[in-house]
Amino acid sequence: MRRTRFGIAAAGVLLAGMLTACGDAGSDDEGRDVEAKENAADEFDAGTRMKELAEAGKITVGVKYDQPGLGFKGANDDIPSGFDVEIAKLLVADLGIDPADTSVVTYEETISDNREPFLESGKVDLVLASYSITDDRRKVVGQTGPYFVTGQQLLVPADSDVASIDDLKGQEVCSVTGSTSIDRINEAGAKGVGFDSYSECVQKVLDGTVQGMSTDGSILAGYAAENEGQLKVVGDEFSEELIGVGYSKEHPEMCEWINDVLEDSFEDGSWAEAFELTLGPSGVETPDPPQLQDCVA
Amino acid sequence: MNAVLDNLDAYFKAFGYTIFLFLVAGVLSTLLGTVLVAMRVGPVAVLRGAAATYVTVVRNTPLVIMFAFFSFAAPIFGIQFKWLQVHVGTFDFTAFFGAAVVSLTLYTSAFVCEGLRAGVNAVPLGQVEAARAIGLPFGGVMSQVVLPQAFRAALPPLASVQIALIKNTSVAAVFGVAEATAQMRTFTNSFSSERFGIFVCFAIGYIVIVEAFSFLATRTERHWRVAL
Amino acid sequence: MTGAPLVVLDHVDKWFGDLHVLQDINLTVDRGEVVVVIGPSGSGKSTLCRAINRLEVIQQGSITLDGQPLPAEGKELANLRAEVGMVFQSFNLFAHKTILENVTLGPIKVRGIKKEAAETRARELLDRVGVGHQAAKYPAQLSGGQQQRVAIARALAMEPKVMLFDEPTSALDPEMISEVLEVMVDLAKRGMTMVVVTHEMGFARTAADRVVFMADGAIVEENTPDEFFTNPQSDRAKDFLGKILKH
Repeated sequence: MRRTRFGIAAAGVLLAGMLTACGDAGSDDEGRDVEAKENAADEFDAGTRMKELAEAGKITVGVKYDQPGLGFKGANDDIPSGFDVEIAKLLVADLGIDPADTSVVTYEETISDNREPFLESGKVDLVLASYSITDDRRKVVGQTGPYFVTGQQLLVPADSDVASIDDLKGQEVCSVTGSTSIDRINEAGAKGVGFDSYSECVQKVLDGTVQGMSTDGSILAGYAAENEGQLKVVGDEFSEELIGVGYSKEHPEMCEWINDVLEDSFEDGSWAEAFELTLGPSGVETPDPPQLQDCVA
Repeated sequence: MNAVLDNLDAYFKAFGYTIFLFLVAGVLSTLLGTVLVAMRVGPVAVLRGAAATYVTVVRNTPLVIMFAFFSFAAPIFGIQFKWLQVHVGTFDFTAFFGAAVVSLTLYTSAFVCEGLRAGVNAVPLGQVEAARAIGLPFGGVMSQVVLPQAFRAALPPLASVQIALIKNTSVAAVFGVAEATAQMRTFTNSFSSERFGIFVCFAIGYIVIVEAFSFLATRTERHWRVAL
Repeated sequence: MTGAPLVVLDHVDKWFGDLHVLQDINLTVDRGEVVVVIGPSGSGKSTLCRAINRLEVIQQGSITLDGQPLPAEGKELANLRAEVGMVFQSFNLFAHKTILENVTLGPIKVRGIKKEAAETRARELLDRVGVGHQAAKYPAQLSGGQQQRVAIARALAMEPKVMLFDEPTSALDPEMISEVLEVMVDLAKRGMTMVVVTHEMGFARTAADRVVFMADGAIVEENTPDEFFTNPQSDRAKDFLGKILKH
């Protein structure tokens, strides 16, 4: 009997640990209501992918499910939330599709490893998943934007003396396995160690196994807000990531359309509004909209 | 392919970690598995029960959960491996390597124990009686007569267990060890256009390690067969 | 030729489940005595032999060796077994060790004798039983008769107080039986205390000081070989001898 009770207690402690590890990241706020454009199909030229999508009235968008503030889907959420998702809604609405109706819009989870394969195979039509624009990716998929510029910073315990990545030369710094962040950490002279998700890295910072973790400042800000008093974001950005929209290389005409929608959102204030709603709460000030890259024909 | 060929040092270093994980966990799991099987077939009922329970629990737990336990749950109880700070050349063996070795060792030892137990059961009772008759105590009977023969009989299944371990080291990729699979993911992320070639290069790396090990196992088996 | 009691079985009983395999066994083997145990199969003679070094556990009665009762499991039992040499029907040489290693294992691991000394002694014993030139081979490379002689050498290497033989020739091809029996006769002549379970009546006649006849788990008759073979007292013994001597 005593053993059973100890077992239950141990299981309880374990479960509690696991739950903490899972975290309760993500905000409850609803996200913006974006109205679908009427008669959108008429605006596109025949033969374009936009026309096809608008006429079909269905679209699949690849987003992240595990990055609070950018792309995050809680267990009870119908639609993911975050800045990536808000920008996706603007694009979807421009095609005349209701971005809040999950029967016509599918927000497919994409992880770092499958974004290109999903675009290439047509499994998703667009990717907005904190998707850095790089020359190498552009060999296989289309990328444009950026709609967001961010850079890598450090998340360290609140009482840490670490002020920048230079203080962690030769030390282990956590990030997600295989991510660009790991490369940047190594390039900066620290040693990148990889976990499956940022929330796991947060655990390793909290339990003291590593002195800090590093990835885009916007992501770190979310975790700092969640663990107020325990963690803080420090240091200058030691990399620049241009976060853009991914599309299939087979449909180069989408580039101009995406840029137009982004440009409109910069001008009518919906971009800034989306930013404040999603990344604002974690203490990031709304910056000026970034400079869009030209579409190369 | 160029992604790997241009970064061969990273490629080999990553497989270096894979091999270190395999060697350390391979040796430790064989030792622990041997102790477990001695407990399982030994005369002390409490130890028999403990070993059987261990095997049942560990064998039925997914490896990822073992890793997750030592990465996220064990630190709550103060079990960390921060004391581990070994640096050999460019290789760092720290807390993450320690947790990975412990997870892989505990997991693999249950399979080693079961493989060896099949080997122990294959040793004729007469061998045990003869060993007892010359006055060997339990430990001597096991170490001098039963286990050496059990290892020979169980070599093929034990080799399979260790080959599984080689591949299981890849789980450490997402628990802080920069081994081959982690490096592969870095490559595929940085060189998305060369995904296929990268996969092929890393598959070849694993195949080479497994084949080299299989070769040694087969040679040992043949050598022992001559001895018997 | 014989001296003080060395092995004493006192009111020993053993059951396998409901089967009463040893029934009130009383037997004393004196130092230097050669006792041959015979009887039909299933009579309990092997069990009796194996009980003396506790390879079979008895449920009632007592067995003493050189005045000391058999200890229960553990270190002390191991020490006692070292004093009792045992030769099995199926040889049971250690399959993964060479002939020489088979003989030196006990002296080195149990007696703590240095390897060189143990090997010198082992080679002497192997020469004595006629397999000295086979020392480097593995058991599977030897004939059954050779293996059994090695098994005797292995037991002798421990310098036991008493040797138990559990049907040592039953698994041998007929042409190999005599080479093993010769070694055993030689051993008997040198004054070794022996308990031999066997069907070899010739050995019993030439080497035994006493014959013990068992049937159905009990000692039915014991006598000198001459008396037993020429003038058996019990019907069971007469019947048994009648059957085997017909051939």
